[in-house]
Amino acid sequence: MSNIIYINPITRISGFLEIEVKIENNEIVDAKSSGVLYRGFEKMLLGRSPLDAIYFTERICGICSTAHSMASALCLEDALKITPTLNSNLLRNIIHGCEFIQNHIRHFYQFVIPDYVKGPDIIGSSYSNNDYRLPDNLSYRINKNYIESLTFSRAAHEMIAVLGGKAPHNHGIFVGGVTCNIDSAKIIKLQSLLKSIKDFVNTKMLEDVYIISQYYSDYFNIGIGCKNLMTYGLFDFDDKSIFYVKPSVLINGMKYSFEKNNITENVFYSWYETQSNSVPFESPPDTNLNKKDAYSFVKAPRYKGYPMETGPLSRMYLSGIYKRGISAMDRIVARALEADKIIDIVENMLNMLEILPSNQDIYEIPDIAIGAGLTDTTRGSLAHYISIKDKKIEKYDIITPSTWNLSSRSENGTRGPVENALIGTYISSLSSPVEIGRIVRSFDPCISCATHVAVKDKKPIDFIIDIL
Amino acid sequence: MNKFENCPMIDSKSQTAMTLINQSIDYIKQNNVPKLNLIWLEATGCSGNIISLLNGENPGLYFLLKEMVNLKYDNSLSPYQGERAFEEFLEALNTEFILVVEGAISLKDGGLYSVFARYKGKIITTAKAVRMAADKAKYILAVGTCSSFGGISSASPNPSESISTFDYLNDKTVIRIPGCPAHPDWVTGTIAHLISFGMPLLDEKNRPLMFYSLTVHDGCTRRSFFNKGIFAQKLGDAECMFKLGCRGPVTKADCPIRKWNQYVNYPIGDNTPCIGCAQDNFPDGMEPFVRY
Repeated sequence: MSNIIYINPITRISGFLEIEVKIENNEIVDAKSSGVLYRGFEKMLLGRSPLDAIYFTERICGICSTAHSMASALCLEDALKITPTLNSNLLRNIIHGCEFIQNHIRHFYQFVIPDYVKGPDIIGSSYSNNDYRLPDNLSYRINKNYIESLTFSRAAHEMIAVLGGKAPHNHGIFVGGVTCNIDSAKIIKLQSLLKSIKDFVNTKMLEDVYIISQYYSDYFNIGIGCKNLMTYGLFDFDDKSIFYVKPSVLINGMKYSFEKNNITENVFYSWYETQSNSVPFESPPDTNLNKKDAYSFVKAPRYKGYPMETGPLSRMYLSGIYKRGISAMDRIVARALEADKIIDIVENMLNMLEILPSNQDIYEIPDIAIGAGLTDTTRGSLAHYISIKDKKIEKYDIITPSTWNLSSRSENGTRGPVENALIGTYISSLSSPVEIGRIVRSFDPCISCATHVAVKDKKPIDFIIDIL
Repeated sequence: MNKFENCPMIDSKSQTAMTLINQSIDYIKQNNVPKLNLIWLEATGCSGNIISLLNGENPGLYFLLKEMVNLKYDNSLSPYQGERAFEEFLEALNTEFILVVEGAISLKDGGLYSVFARYKGKIITTAKAVRMAADKAKYILAVGTCSSFGGISSASPNPSESISTFDYLNDKTVIRIPGCPAHPDWVTGTIAHLISFGMPLLDEKNRPLMFYSLTVHDGCTRRSFFNKGIFAQKLGDAECMFKLGCRGPVTKADCPIRKWNQYVNYPIGDNTPCIGCAQDNFPDGMEPFVRY
């Protein structure tokens, strides 16, 4: 006997997501992830001033806006043939690093913890699932830290504002590096804020993550996924004290260097009218809700044809720092360890800064140019592609980390990483399938990003009948 | 509360969110008023306003939720999921509550470009959820520029056919708290005012005067450069950025006085122009954001 379970909304993520699973004998045998929010940024960007792409694309996502400003600035610098100075580059990597810290703290406490720990009772009526395992004293500890964590995720955004004007949606990252003129007062303020964050992460957060991983150690064996890992590289500096990870991939257990021409974006099961699978797309494809076999508007990016998991675990694994394995709990542990790692890198970058004015210039927009900006960011690998014609944006294509992780099936039927991670999971209670949300959230989905070009199945009810 | 005969800039300074909030807490305690409930709906947008709210300090989120309101529903923070989360929302509708909507309302294909929940096999669009809540809300706040004016979610060619929450609920009184995102003080300060004093004074676009009575240009830290005609050539310069495309003169918000993220900085303080993100024609009418 099979059951179909829908979970919509998947709360405690950024944006709207529906997860649909087919269950036989308490085991997930099929899974589909569907973003249910559409805005269409790639269409909006056409004809606008290329320099405006930075502040415009930030607004794809309120929780990781700095990521888009970073990728967009890299993309424009590629098109305009501009290289920032080391000092400017350090400053914007500090801004970017602070966005990771903000995200990782908020993801663990505000998004993940309510799945594993009862309380804190600041929202709604008292919640309980059927699988809370912590003794009261540890629940009390972690709930206290849930509240305390708000101070430190906020402090990470304050650091962004010192260098970038405000957060979310900073102004500081721009073509040529940054716009702020660094001085000693700013540096000491940043060091002071970072020190408080570092103390919290080291004395509270890492131990809280350890507690969760001990009481829920079975989650080291589920939510494994496609096992192909990818990073576009992050803090890829020659100086070891600020280096993190080179662009690289893991396919079938073998590590290779990353080559951007191996990326394709497949729409076979997506509601788009295009024959192209090239990256970037020739033009933003039109939608067709009646397309045969299509079930989602999330595209299916692939690397050499493989679905790829991207994010903190991919980076920690490919950098050789984290070796335990790939699973739902490994993702949570690796994310916390990465927060610690990035705090150290930001600390070292702050120590390397020189008191120099920003390196801004008057930028000439070429009549014709193309550019690509690929970087790893909080949730994984992010790419922006631009084509400029007559000094305007002719095409703009964005592939976000969550598009990789939440991708739909490709033409050979291969599932995306989140779909794949759900398959085979044993569901203890069909009326309260806590396992599903825990696995999905381990990827830290950002639907605001993934579905900047995605929409919802128009005929969901018909669709249920089809697969039954 | 009408001190408008005084200097509005002094009003903006004295009526900080914290003084309002202290007043409202005293009011709650002295009059034994039950805390109001709060429903926060994320519609077609980036969820940047709830993140901005989390960035609030004095009052912070915890203070807001402990002392001022009971948060009954928010997609980013709710411990529930699926049908149980939607039931929490339904239960909250039967209470007295303030409704906050961030994001625009997508109308394309019957609202299916923004889905709020699936309940008993039925798709509940975000437009539907907003309507259900608005019909029962005591007060309605459109938070952020998408919700207030359409914002970036309805930028040309508006692929999701989005309109502002304000226009969608044109039969209701909706307070606009624009900004991309809205400053946490603008939100908590308005809520505090609603609790203690009821409706705040609003301008002709339904924005609370205590936060939106002045343009960015009025309070700009670089105003003296403008007055003397000394202009920046590029981003990073220290002078007035009017000639780089600064939209401060047409944008009503108290950013230069209040500043952002623990009051440390604001875009002009970061040597970049105001891009008019709190104004009704953002982004289409504010571009190019930067010109030389």
